[in-house]
Amino acid sequence: MKITRKLNQEPVNTGSMADIAFLLLIFFLVSTTILQEKGLMITLPPDKEKQEAMPVNDRNLFKISINSKNQFLIQDEPREDLAGLKEEVRMFILNPAAASDLAESPKKAIVSLKSNRGTDYAAFIGVLDELKGAYYDIYGERVGLSGDQYRHLDLDNPRQLALYERGKEGIPMNISIAEPNK
Amino acid sequence: MKSFKRKTSVNAEISTASLPDIVFLLLFFFMVTAVIRTDEKLVKYEVPKAKHINKAEMKTLIRELQVGLPANARLGSEPLISDGSHYLKINELVQWVNQEKATLPEAYKDQMIIVLKADEAVKMGLIADIQQELRKSNARKVLYRSKENI
Repeated sequence: MKITRKLNQEPVNTGSMADIAFLLLIFFLVSTTILQEKGLMITLPPDKEKQEAMPVNDRNLFKISINSKNQFLIQDEPREDLAGLKEEVRMFILNPAAASDLAESPKKAIVSLKSNRGTDYAAFIGVLDELKGAYYDIYGERVGLSGDQYRHLDLDNPRQLALYERGKEGIPMNISIAEPNK
Repeated sequence: MKSFKRKTSVNAEISTASLPDIVFLLLFFFMVTAVIRTDEKLVKYEVPKAKHINKAEMKTLIRELQVGLPANARLGSEPLISDGSHYLKINELVQWVNQEKATLPEAYKDQMIIVLKADEAVKMGLIADIQQELRKSNARKVLYRSKENI
């Protein structure tokens, strides 16, 4: 083997750069856990002492309770599953036919979700999911989108933000989480 | 084989044949030794599934609470609350919230988002107690962490 060589003609070998890059890529791919904070966002009511009791007309209240066996009581009617709940809630809030037993106006409509201390968290989330879905459907409908499209609007984009604001304007998401009974 | 023949025999290149081996050695070394989260999961949880979920917008405002059975079976079979590094008792939550709020800039203190990662089998009693404490400490934005169910 020849050890002597012309130093001025020696190029640096860059063939391994790709390998190093791939190594780094793979390392970061493996090590970073993408922060995925997705879920059902809700704002809890203020603390009891600061809260004023507000009389609510019975027709404006959509009552859902879940017992400790995860059975549902929706508007005083026992149910085994949540089929059709989304549509019912939507009709209750919008009340297009101005029925006397449904909400006076979307603004006044309140959906109350009451659970029992023995209710499974999953059952509670299941109902909350449907309720949020109903509201998103309403919001989406007002701006000509489906509920899912509305939910995926990019709020950093001014045009989509405008749609978002227009959709929910005047219809607050009145989901009340009542304290569970024992 | 022609390409290996060089016009000037003095121009010898460093062999790069072993570089991939070195690279893979490094890769395996990091894969084996890297500890990404130093704190172990204190509680076991499997979040429930939901369809109509949103992303939390500002990641810096997020603080996390985990609820589930303790990972160490010796700690009992009752669900416990954890902030990721310690177990918290229900009456310690107000203090915890205030501590976490102190780490946020003044303008955002009221907008702290609590991400609740609770096991789907946890009973609502405990969840309601947590909600109650969060209301007391005025951390009212709660995100019930759930998996997307398509």
